[in-house]
Amino acid sequence: MEILINKKAYQAQEGEMILDVCRRENIRIPTLCAFEGLPKEAVCRLCLVEINLADKLVPSCAFPVCEKLEVTTESEKIKKAREVNLELLWSDHAGKCVKCKKNRMCELQSLAEEYKIDNFHFVPRREDLTNAEELDLLKDNKIRVVVEEENPCIARTTEFCVECRRCINICPDKAFGFNHRAGDGVVGTPYEKTLDCSFCGECVRVCPVAALTDKNNFSKIIEDLDDMKKMAVALVAEGMEEKINTMLKYTEIAIEAKEVLKKLGFEKIFDFTEKDDEDEGLDEFKDQLAKKEKINLENIVLFYISDNISLKKEKIANLDHILTDREVARLARDRKII
Amino acid sequence: MNNTKIITKHWGRINPLKIEDYVAIGGYKALKKYIRDMDAERAIGEIKKSGLCGRGGAGFPTGNKLEIVAEKNGTKYFICNLDESEPGTYKDRAIVDNNPHSLIEGIIISALIIGAKRAIIYINGRYIKQKEILEIAVEQAGKYNFLGKGIIGSCYDLGIEIFSGAGAYICGEETALINSIEGNRGEPKSRPPYPTDAGLFGKPTVINNAETIVNIPWIITNGGEKYADSGGEKLYILGGSVKKPGVYEGSVGITIRQAIEKMGGGLKKGKEFWFAQIGGASGRLILGNELDCVLDYDRVSAETPRRGVSIMPIGSGSILVIDKTVDIKDLLLSWTTFFRYESCGKCVPCREGTFRLWEIAKRMQDGEITERDQKAIPEIIWTLQNTTFCPLGKFAATAFSDVMEKKLI
Repeated sequence: MEILINKKAYQAQEGEMILDVCRRENIRIPTLCAFEGLPKEAVCRLCLVEINLADKLVPSCAFPVCEKLEVTTESEKIKKAREVNLELLWSDHAGKCVKCKKNRMCELQSLAEEYKIDNFHFVPRREDLTNAEELDLLKDNKIRVVVEEENPCIARTTEFCVECRRCINICPDKAFGFNHRAGDGVVGTPYEKTLDCSFCGECVRVCPVAALTDKNNFSKIIEDLDDMKKMAVALVAEGMEEKINTMLKYTEIAIEAKEVLKKLGFEKIFDFTEKDDEDEGLDEFKDQLAKKEKINLENIVLFYISDNISLKKEKIANLDHILTDREVARLARDRKII
Repeated sequence: MNNTKIITKHWGRINPLKIEDYVAIGGYKALKKYIRDMDAERAIGEIKKSGLCGRGGAGFPTGNKLEIVAEKNGTKYFICNLDESEPGTYKDRAIVDNNPHSLIEGIIISALIIGAKRAIIYINGRYIKQKEILEIAVEQAGKYNFLGKGIIGSCYDLGIEIFSGAGAYICGEETALINSIEGNRGEPKSRPPYPTDAGLFGKPTVINNAETIVNIPWIITNGGEKYADSGGEKLYILGGSVKKPGVYEGSVGITIRQAIEKMGGGLKKGKEFWFAQIGGASGRLILGNELDCVLDYDRVSAETPRRGVSIMPIGSGSILVIDKTVDIKDLLLSWTTFFRYESCGKCVPCREGTFRLWEIAKRMQDGEITERDQKAIPEIIWTLQNTTFCPLGKFAATAFSDVMEKKLI
């Protein structure tokens, strides 16, 4: 069928959503909760558009196309809706960007930049508050923020969470859900228990903000990379180069994955293919390299560049660190390479 | 005001725990008439003629809803929405307290009309006593064979289950109610698909408000035209500064002034009228000069416009009368606290907006609010009214908005 978007005709298939058509045709619609392949939750209310069939704004991610549909993707009303809702979300995050793990790689941050959200008029200033109100805010914060870093692989903090539900929907183990109600609702595990799942890392991949991030000992990693006496070696798992390149594109600086790894201080970079039945390749690698290069075992720091974060749990002998594509990009950002 | 009482006629005169009392006043005759003399098509025709529409507040024509599902094949469900949680609204509770069998009879007839074999009463988790009354009523109806296999010798089978919610306001919204019964978190789903197409467990489902359902036996017995002549009956709940607060039955289409004067007995001695809130915490505020508004459903203005009369959506039927001794800041805090707590937290504008409004209402109580807050109020209200996922958010700031617009603060 044919539908009109911004007064131009486009082809659309039965069952497609407005957003699907717009993405295919490169018509920009901001989204925060929508994610390829996941159920359309329509909760962020940023992808709202105007249509000719109703006089209210509709979420483009969850509105199926139909005959005689006319869509407007930009108007004063739409702009206002996006701005106010973004700002409401932003109010919960205000001023936490600089130290954030996801700084410059955050979907909320780039949307806030795009829509110039800089006035925080939903957030009270300290001087406007009475003592009682300040106390209330503190108490309130206590319910709303849950931090969990006990598990071996994923750092969780609801302070940054925008309740987009991507992690809930993508998790094969159904590890996440909502706790509490209304504004106090936080995404978490049942009964707030320590996360214990297969650690596939999908939730970290889809999280638009820094609510779910890779867990690692960054100060030790930096120390090891900078140590002149030690040789930093990177084993790059299959497909990771491409994934790192995708992460790097976020910052719009033209640089290749291998080059970034070199700049980070890796002296040797090897491609590595994981074998299905044996994990032995990983624990033998350091030994073989030490013999070949004729250096002491303790002078080699072996990094495995992989997004298989469940390995972090296993403690593989002779493997020092595991870095995901996200963490490589984060290191590059912190070291001003990108 | 007409005097044919339909819903409240036998209230206080029969024992709600005895089915014999209800049968003695002609109860379950409508069920017998439906089974022996009517079919679904004719019954739907009568209900359509009656003009009966959803009493929960939205006012969707009941006959049409039943017809959509009756025409479908396969498993279907009928749900009685008794999750009454609008503040100041307790009409459905009063129905169960006074005449539970009229509700059960209505449920049975409605379920048979659409061809459902299972009907569910979704009751507010706080209605503990009412749940017990209904349990007794269902058991008694079973003993009389008004329920179960082969209802009074016919080929119809029907079972009624009572499902108790956890007392969340949002679960009165049909899709959230369905989620709740299915064992999911009580939050609304996207529509379409509508429950009439894919409702409970994905099957076509009719969800009707308890008050809508109690009208059904009367319509089946007396005919749709007679019901339409009376203009339709509605339970009004008078509260606040009126002399006689309580649940009253009256016609659809009376004015707010009539409701307050004739049902509520006017204002309490020494109190001066300030404004009235129509339809619970999510309702509009009506000032003294607007009291001659007619209480009706939106459909009236669309189908038969009446000249010179402004129409006020009737909502759930509650009328809260506020006198001039009330502190508006207390009210604002009470409304915003309610919605802050009852928002399901699914969509951004409602979750964050109701929270920020509540914060502002709290700051108002402590004294003057800043210019920043003044600017924030209209923006939050706008985004609630225009961008939320479900009607809860849309109406969450109605009262707040009226307070600002009508300069009550």
